[in-house]
Amino acid sequence: MYGALDTSVSGMVAQRVRMNTIAANLANRSTVADAQGNAAPYQRRIPIFEVGDPSAQSAEGRSSGVHVSEILLDEAPPRMVLEPNSPYADADGYVAYPNIDPMTEQVSIMEAARAYEANVAAAEATKSLVAQLVRLLG
Amino acid sequence: MYIESLTNADALPTLAASMQFAARRHELITHNIANLSTPMFQPKDVSVRGFQENLGEAIDGRRRARMGNGGPLNMESSREVKVSAGRLSLEPEEPSGNVLFHDRNNRDLERTMQDLAENFAALRVTSELMRSRMGILSAAITLRP
Repeated sequence: MYGALDTSVSGMVAQRVRMNTIAANLANRSTVADAQGNAAPYQRRIPIFEVGDPSAQSAEGRSSGVHVSEILLDEAPPRMVLEPNSPYADADGYVAYPNIDPMTEQVSIMEAARAYEANVAAAEATKSLVAQLVRLLG
Repeated sequence: MYIESLTNADALPTLAASMQFAARRHELITHNIANLSTPMFQPKDVSVRGFQENLGEAIDGRRRARMGNGGPLNMESSREVKVSAGRLSLEPEEPSGNVLFHDRNNRDLERTMQDLAENFAALRVTSELMRSRMGILSAAITLRP
């Protein structure tokens, strides 16, 4: 039964990572330069989920649950905006903006929130089942 | 010998088998929920009806062998539910059907949550029944109600 709780927690962790990447994508929607001040539009982050939880102790635990296997960088071409006076403009006066669609991100974050809630519901069920079974003792 | 006839009395072995099945299936369902948005993941489940038919046959066999309700319950392994030394383990299969999403995951959140709730209720019922059985046993032992 405790294994079921680990599984639900791994689902919550994965969905939380997904929410963090979406928040970063939205926050950096207009970021045109990197931390060193060079012109480089922010690349959208895409978390990739995989079955299994490598952080689990037992072999059975490693095969159940979910984890984020990697965070991909979106290689889509940037959105070019004509801003000739910007210090980040290229020779033709265009600035490269990140290619991030707020609608897509909104839909993803809603799905992540629902999936997170489903995991919370499953963890609640496991908790009360464990409590129920402990009551068997007397 | 006497302890065995106590733990094998009446409905206790049946309750134990149902509880084990429901607990294993609960783990299966939480795994499906954790992987709601994993690409290529296909949720797996076991057939409750199949388990109940199997359990029903075992109960009938026990009745025939003992002419009553005592004695051990011998469940046969089925395709999805393996029994060894009184322990159940599940070998779930991928149910066919449902819509395949673009990430090649054929999740069905509503049905999964329904399964979780039903399985939860089943486990609660069996554990309550088990508890009342245990209460009767301890009342008989201590001769106090």
